[in-house]
Amino acid sequence: MLFAVSAFPQEGHPLTGTWTGDWGPTAAQRTHITLVMNWDGKNVTGTINPGPDAVNLGSVILDVTNWTVRIEADAKDASGKPVRISVEGKLEDLTNPHRKLSGTWMQGATKGDFRLIRD
Amino acid sequence: MTKPSALAIGLAVVAVLSARPMFSQRPFSATYDPGRQVKLQGVVTRIDWSTPNAFFFIDVRDATGTVANWAIDIGNPLELERNGSKRSTLKIGDAVTVDAVPARSEARQASAKSVVLTRTSRRLFAPAPRRAAAPAAPVPRWPDGKIRLGPPPGKTGYWGAASTQVLVDGAAAKVPMSEDGLLTNITDADKVAPFLPWSKAIFEQRQRRFLRDDPYSKCMPQGGPRQFQSANGFQFVEQKELNRILILQGGGNRNWRVIYTDARPVGSPAEAVPTYYGSSVGRWEKDTLVVESVGYNEKFWLTSGGLPHTEALKLTERFTRTDLNTLKYEVIVDDPRTYSKPWTGGWTIQWVPDQEIQEYFCEDNADFVR
Repeated sequence: MLFAVSAFPQEGHPLTGTWTGDWGPTAAQRTHITLVMNWDGKNVTGTINPGPDAVNLGSVILDVTNWTVRIEADAKDASGKPVRISVEGKLEDLTNPHRKLSGTWMQGATKGDFRLIRD
Repeated sequence: MTKPSALAIGLAVVAVLSARPMFSQRPFSATYDPGRQVKLQGVVTRIDWSTPNAFFFIDVRDATGTVANWAIDIGNPLELERNGSKRSTLKIGDAVTVDAVPARSEARQASAKSVVLTRTSRRLFAPAPRRAAAPAAPVPRWPDGKIRLGPPPGKTGYWGAASTQVLVDGAAAKVPMSEDGLLTNITDADKVAPFLPWSKAIFEQRQRRFLRDDPYSKCMPQGGPRQFQSANGFQFVEQKELNRILILQGGGNRNWRVIYTDARPVGSPAEAVPTYYGSSVGRWEKDTLVVESVGYNEKFWLTSGGLPHTEALKLTERFTRTDLNTLKYEVIVDDPRTYSKPWTGGWTIQWVPDQEIQEYFCEDNADFVR
């Protein structure tokens, strides 16, 4: 069995990379998330769940004074109706390549929490 | 954990460390607190004469009779040997008095400033008087007139200590900091380099953590310019018939880097396989070797002080051997994702004549008590 675990540090922009985890309104009701972000020198761009159901990030704002992150994106629900995703999170364990990002996740009218770990 | 007591007396702020380890793999500031000092008297129980740091251990008895074992860091054993010390300089059972800088943590570990053997009152492991500079001599050249970056024909030698362990924007005013790049005043961060907000915040965070997250201290390679501040030096091997120059590192993991001199294109950062030393192409501009490199990974710090970068990094390095004994190193750091504009820093490196680089591998023995 192959484990895709990297122990190598990433010392560049703290958001750059692939993050995985989940979000949901309750501890039992969770939805898997893969979040890919990249710093281009001016903006952080990225995608939620790359692939056929990918959602491009609209805006990502990192506040380096307290390492909080705001993400906005426009997705579609199962019926194809537009749905807004609003995320507010905080970076933790910044010096760890497998740093954490967690906080609140709003998708349409549903509010929940999320936890992501950088791969 | 036993704290320094009776015989471990906290003293005033230490001004300058005369015997601090020069080649520690870990930034001195990450392990030791130069703002404190301890005095220890005890008996040697063990000697660990290995790279990157040699240690001896002493049993220290306090006023209540409690014995605590302290690890005393005496620096790089290769440097100690060059200064005339040997593994047998100190023996198990010897009684010593040590003035030292203690670890930042509660660990019973300290970096020796002075070690005095009780029975003879002789100071041990003292730094040798500053060596006289090697005799001035012209730059050695190849038959085609090009400068030789290595030793003159029939001689040995390598490039040793850099004049500084930090990298600072040359356009900036002098910034007070420790030898390993820990700023005296964190508010001076802006003077070190033209940071973007995120990179300044990361730099400051590394500084606030006393550089303890330095990947080099975990035996990762010294990528980018830092390879020329390498523990135990480096040397150039010019393979003219292959149109390439190898740089062999004396320290770390004894890595090597290739600079191609066959006029190939430099490439673009986006297409390169990211590495610690980048993809390098060199050319001669009169007596200066100019090397452009892209394709750096993000797994290293540009300097021990914690300068960040991204994969967009491009370095332009200029190597000028001004005489036999001196190499001037200048680097332009161009990373628009990390810095608001390209900036330039540099230092000089001294030639170590008539010697070979000795074996030195990264072994993380800087913390005996964790």
